[in-house]
Formats: sequence, C-alpha cells, structure tokens
Amino acid sequence: MLEYAQFVLAPQIVTGLALGVAVILVALGLTIIFGLLDVINMSHGEFYALGAFIALALGQVGLPFWLLLVAVPVLILPIGYAVERGLIQRVFHSEDRHVTTLLLTFGFGLVLEDALRLTFGPNPFKPETPIRGTIEILGTYLPLYRLFMIVVGGLIIAGTALVVYRTRLGAMVRAAAFDRNMAASLGVPVERVYAGAFAFGVALAGLAGVLLAPIYSVFPTMGRDFILMAFTVIIVGGMGSIGGAVIAGLFLTQVQAIASLYISPVWTDPIVFAIMVLMLMVRPQGLRGRLGHA
Amino acid sequence: MRDELTIKSHAGYWLAALLLLAGLVVAGVGFATGDVFYLRLASEALIFGGLALSVDILLGYTGLLSLGQALHFGLGAYVSALALIATQSFWTAMGVALAAGVLGGLVGGFIANRVRGVYFALITFGMAQVSAKVVYNTRSLGASDGLIGVPVLDINFGFFSLSSASPTAFFLLALAILLLLYFLAAYLLDTPFGRLLIAVKANERRVPFLGYRTATLRLGSYVLAATIATLSGALYPMLRGFVSPELLFFSTSGNAVITVILGGAGTLVGALYGSVLLTVIKSVVGSWTEHHLIVIGLLFMVVVIFLPNGLMGLIQPGIRARLARGGRR
Amino acid sequence: MTAQRAPAGPILDVRDLSISFGGLKAVDGVSFNAERNRITTIIGPNGAGKSTLFNLISGALAPRRGRVLLEGRDTTGAAPHRLQAAGLARSFQITTLFFALSVAENLRLGAQTLEPAARLWLPVGSSVRARRRVDELLERFRLTDKADYPAGKLSHGEQRRLEIAVALAGAPRVLLLDEPTQGMSHGDTAETAELIRGLASDVTILLIEHDIGLVMTLSDHVIVMHQGRKIAEGMPEAVRADPAVQAAYFGHV
Repeated sequence: MLEYAQFVLAPQIVTGLALGVAVILVALGLTIIFGLLDVINMSHGEFYALGAFIALALGQVGLPFWLLLVAVPVLILPIGYAVERGLIQRVFHSEDRHVTTLLLTFGFGLVLEDALRLTFGPNPFKPETPIRGTIEILGTYLPLYRLFMIVVGGLIIAGTALVVYRTRLGAMVRAAAFDRNMAASLGVPVERVYAGAFAFGVALAGLAGVLLAPIYSVFPTMGRDFILMAFTVIIVGGMGSIGGAVIAGLFLTQVQAIASLYISPVWTDPIVFAIMVLMLMVRPQGLRGRLGHA
Repeated sequence: MRDELTIKSHAGYWLAALLLLAGLVVAGVGFATGDVFYLRLASEALIFGGLALSVDILLGYTGLLSLGQALHFGLGAYVSALALIATQSFWTAMGVALAAGVLGGLVGGFIANRVRGVYFALITFGMAQVSAKVVYNTRSLGASDGLIGVPVLDINFGFFSLSSASPTAFFLLALAILLLLYFLAAYLLDTPFGRLLIAVKANERRVPFLGYRTATLRLGSYVLAATIATLSGALYPMLRGFVSPELLFFSTSGNAVITVILGGAGTLVGALYGSVLLTVIKSVVGSWTEHHLIVIGLLFMVVVIFLPNGLMGLIQPGIRARLARGGRR
Repeated sequence: MTAQRAPAGPILDVRDLSISFGGLKAVDGVSFNAERNRITTIIGPNGAGKSTLFNLISGALAPRRGRVLLEGRDTTGAAPHRLQAAGLARSFQITTLFFALSVAENLRLGAQTLEPAARLWLPVGSSVRARRRVDELLERFRLTDKADYPAGKLSHGEQRRLEIAVALAGAPRVLLLDEPTQGMSHGDTAETAELIRGLASDVTILLIEHDIGLVMTLSDHVIVMHQGRKIAEGMPEAVRADPAVQAAYFGHV
C-alpha cells in the first residue's frame, strides 16, 4: 500500500500538478482576457506554441533557460498589444462581439500557426530538460524539473492574483471589467488597460509554452490539444474568475492524472469533459463569478 | 411578394440553380476530357459544402456558433464507411447515416443547448475534440489510420445505376444530393419554423412570449444541422474510399466556419459557394506554396473585418433588388 | 368597489403572490382580481415591485409563494410559451423587439400561433390567417407605411406601439402592458392611450403606468403597490383620495 503510494500515486500526482500549473497559466490568460474584454481568444493556443518556439530558437543560440523565462514573455507582450489594438479593436464594437472576435482571433491563430510551420517546419522538436535528475522526498523519487515548474508556475500565478487583487493597477483592471464607461470617467485609461491585459494574457500562455517545452515536444499545432483543457478549466472555474481557474485547473488535472492510473488515458478526456458538462448543467456560471463582479 | 426574407430565400434559389448549371458544365467538360483529379476535387468541395451548410443553419439562422460540426460530419463518414464495408449498399449507408444524423443531433443538441453564446461554441468544440480523440485511439475504428478499403459501389436507382468509381457519375450524384439538402434546408428556413429560428437569433428572450419554447427550437435547429452534416459526411468514404480521424478534428470544423464566413453567413447558398471558393483558393495557392493556411487565415480575417456578409454580401443584393421589383409588378 | 362580476368570475385571479431577492421582498403577498375586458392598472413608486409582479404573472419568474389562476386554471410558475397558449401575453418596459426583422415580420411571428401547428412546416406565405392578422394590426397601430422597415429603424414612439402590437398579435384574452407609453411624447402618449382604450373591448388589460393623468382616464380599476405590497385598490378617484396612497407617493412611510 505504502509502496503504491510512493512509487505510483505520488509521482502521478506531481506530474498532474506540473501539468496543472501549466494549464492554469494558459487558462489564467484566457480568463483575464474574457473577464475584461469579453473576448474568447481562439489564438491563445498558438501564443502558447509561439512561446515554446521562441524559447527553442533562443535556446539554440545559447541563451540560458533562466533568461528565457523572462525574455519570452517580454517578447510576446508587444505582439499581444499590437493584436489587441490592431485587430480586436476593429470589430470590438460590432453587434455580435462574441462571435466576431472569436472568429478574428481564430483567423489570427491560423496565420500564427502556419507562420511557425513556415519558420520551423512541421516536425516536433524536443528541447533538453534544463534541470535534470530526481530528488528523493519521503522515499519517493520526483523529477526535479517538474518540481521546479510547480514552484515557478505557482509563484507566477500567485503574483498575478496579487497584482489583480492587491494593487492599484489591478484595481483599474477590475474597474474596467466591471463597468467600462464608469472606469473611463474615473480616469482609467481603459483602452490601454484592455490592450495591456490581452498582452499580459498571451504572454502568460507563452510562458507556459517555455515551461512545458522540455516536457512535451514543440510543434506548430501543439496548442490545439492544450487549449481544450484550458477552455474546460475556465468554464468549470467560471469565465473570468482567477480563483476559479486555479481551483478548476488543479482539480481537473488531478482527475486526469489519477484517472489515467486506472483507465486508458484515452478515456480521461471524456471524463473531464463530462465534468464540464455537468458543471454547466448545475451551475452555468461556474465555480466563481466574473472578474470585477465578485 | 414583399416579404424580404422570402425574397432573400428566392435569391438563394437562383444562385443554387446557377451552381447546378455550372456543375453540369464542369461534369460535361470533365467527362469529355476524361479528367479525374478535378472532378474528385469538385465533389469534395460539394461534400464539405454540406458541412458548411449545416454550420450556417446554426450560425446564420439560429445564432449559434458551432466549433465542432465536424463531429457530425465525421460520424456520417464513419457509419457510412462501416455500412459500406459490411453491405456494399449505397442506400443502406445513407439510411444508417440519416438515423445517425438524427440521433447524434438529438444527443449533441441536448448537451450543447444547455448553454448559449460563447459557451455553446466552446462546448461544441469540446464535444468534437473529445470524440475525435476517442476515435483516434479506438482500434476497432482503425485508430489513427482510419478505415480503409471502402468498396467501389454500384448505386442502383431502379431504372439506372451508376458507379462511384466514375468521377463524372459520382460528381453528379454529389451535386444532386447536396442541392437536395440545400433545398430542404432553404425550404424549412422559409417556413414559420425557420422564421422562429431567425427570431431566436434576433432576440431569444422574446420568443417564449410569442408562444414557442426556445429550447425546442434550438434543438430542432441542431438536429436539422447535424443531419445535413452527417449525410454530407456519409458521401466522403464513397468518394475517397477511406475515412480518417482528421475528419473529426477541429481543422475540419474550423474550415467549415471559414467557408460560411467567406460565402456569407445567413444565406445558405453562400456555404456552397464558399466551399467552392475555398477549394479553388487552396488549390491555386497550394500550387506554389504549401502554406495556404496563412493566405486563408489572412483572407478570413479581412472578410470578418470588412465584409460581414461575405461573398453573398457582394452579389446577393443585386439579385434581391431584381426579385423585389419583379414581385411588385 | 366591487366591479360587476362576469359570469365566469375574474379572468385573472392572483393570490398571495410573493418573491424575494436576497432578503429583499420584491413582491410580498399581493392578491387581486382582474375583471374581464376591463383595464386594471398597477401604480406605485419606483421599486414598488410592479414589473416583478408582471414577471411573476407572465412566467418570466416563478413565485416563491402564492397562486395565479387564469380563467380558473392554475398557471402558477407556468412557462411563458404555455401562458401564451393559455391566452396571456405581455409587452415589455424596455422595448424587446426583433430589431433586425421587418415590422410585418415581427407581427407575423406574434400571430403565428393563430395558425394550426402543422403550418409551421409549410411556406410562410401559406399562413393566411396570420397574414390577415398582421395587416389588421398594421392598420390599427398605424404602421402600414412602415411594414417593410426593420423594427430597429422605427422611431421610439413607433417601436413602443409595435411592442404592444406584437404582444397582441397572438390574440390573447389577457394582455399585460408594462409602461406602454414609456419615453413617449405627449401627443404619442394620448394616441396610445386611445389605442389601449379601444383594445379593452375584447381584451382584458393589466397595465403598469406612471402617468397619473393617464391612469385616471384609462383605468377601470387601480391597484397601488409600495415596497412590494399592495397598499390600496379601487376606482381611480377613490384610490387617488386614499391617504395611504398619498403618503406612499409624496411622503416617506
């Protein structure tokens, strides 16, 4: 029994936790963008891939991994800002904002994905793990890199929540999410806040790409599978809720990790999906309310 | 005949007739030159046009964006392939697909219609992705290889029969079936039922106070769309001789959405024209670069921003004006 | 105060209707009757619970307590589409039309229930009875010239008229009108009042209205609400003289 916990269950939980942290980073961006702009960013998965590819390219020219964790999000920020100002704002005030912005970001995702394929080719890359080896904790051997991911990812998630809920900047963001016009009349630079939030959201996705690249392979369509999990997380957590995304992200990835011990991994996706459908039936608003509303 | 929506629907009939005419010309030229490649490509464009048609019923008429319509298309392709391998009968395959279409539509609609707006888009996306992954990993369905070895068919129409191996004959069959599906959809959408779907799109909140249950209307719309997607999908294995899990992937659903937007949402016939247009663009661009997605993605973005009514937005107003004038005289 | 009883009793019988939102009693034990082919008006200061009461009667909200009887049949908590079939329709305070569709199509959608259900599957043009109803309503509400206009392109006053006409299109026996003259000019208000007066010959009307002058001239029976409760009811003149009503409107009770 103890051996089972040591050698099977515990490593699986840690694997799930590492995945969970990455999923939350991606979902956090999605949920902030939806909570603030009322936009479903269909290109979010491609930004995740973009982050992984930039990391790959910079890694190849010799930049240390530590630097990538900072450099990649910083490089993606202006791209996200430009996409929001140059594309999303063009259709932001159209009659059916949800659909048009979703379509537009979907189109942008296609372009981005194909641009990655054009630059790097369609085949997967497998970057080296920056931190090798395992560590023994209570008789369980855990891969160091996954623990590193959990710590770094956890810090970033906590930092994001801190900024949104405890700083002046965060207050402006929440005000803009609650009532755009009211916030504008109070002197919040709403347009810059919107673009900044979008840029920040996609930069988080890029960061998740950097972190996950050494675990999974890097290829142009890598965002597609991942994005489904992120969408599920924000639906279950409540669209626009940061706390909800964290809880749902941890919960769903654990369900997936532990379920895959007992059943074929193929069937873990339907289970997670079923949880989402049930959630929508019982509580359509998700675990938590929207940004600025709760 | 002053009813604007009926005029719009009739404008669509004219454009569909034009498509039929063009199709006959293509078939004639193809037959005369002994072409295989282009006739197969054109048949494929029609089949995927059927998928786009189903997306437009949901998006353009009921206001529901499905990002997972490939689920029903793929379902049709797989049940048809299985039926064809087992029985070699066209009619059995289409019958099974019809049943699968209605049944799949009821199940999918029951799940997806729990929610609306962006949630509907995401839940349909999820349904299709999850199903695709299951099919991709199921041995008995050929897993990632799909099902191969769908036999060549002799399709019996009583007084004549045609072979699916003949590119011209199969193209004409696909043309006939797709136009039939189009007319069925166009007919239904110009009935009070169809108008209620349009009402749901325009203002869902008021519809119950007119005396109709919106959940039933949305389910009806979903089942209609799913059935059309499933029947279109059923033709795919007859054309290509195999099916693969790619048919259920998001790229297939996404392509259908692109097709509808390019052709013009809310026009039905735009879905068929959009599919032809997209196929032409893909083969033209594809002849000088394999990166046609960049071109299509950019074109798609341009249409979303500048041409909300797509291709039909450019040509239909003229036809409608003529019909309106003709009707008044 | 007792109005003449129609043979079948009151057409709408509301008993002890209550609902609260997060501790706030929005509607609190309201009971009243509406007599056939009369205009019953509900008045009260903002936040008195008038629109919530309408939502409870028209199926937009389910009450926590109480009963609604429509022609003697219990319709408490019934869905709006069932109530429509039972003969009750409503208009909205905030115009709720199909703005993208033409005026005629808005009305046709409302009139479709006059046709047998099988007509749902036949071409729109074959629904002759609905079409006739549309023409009749266009004329009655003076919208014939605008029949082909998108509803969204109408003036505010025209939209408010169409709002009533759409509710009326299915030929209900009870019609709930939520501030039909909201935001209208003086002239439009007077005309609309005339229209509503004319409707009452074959429809029972339940009205929410703010314009006291209009209430006095239009109503057969007035119900006064304040803070979710009914505080008075009766003939218009009697209600106006009621000290409790004056206190609710002008003082702070």
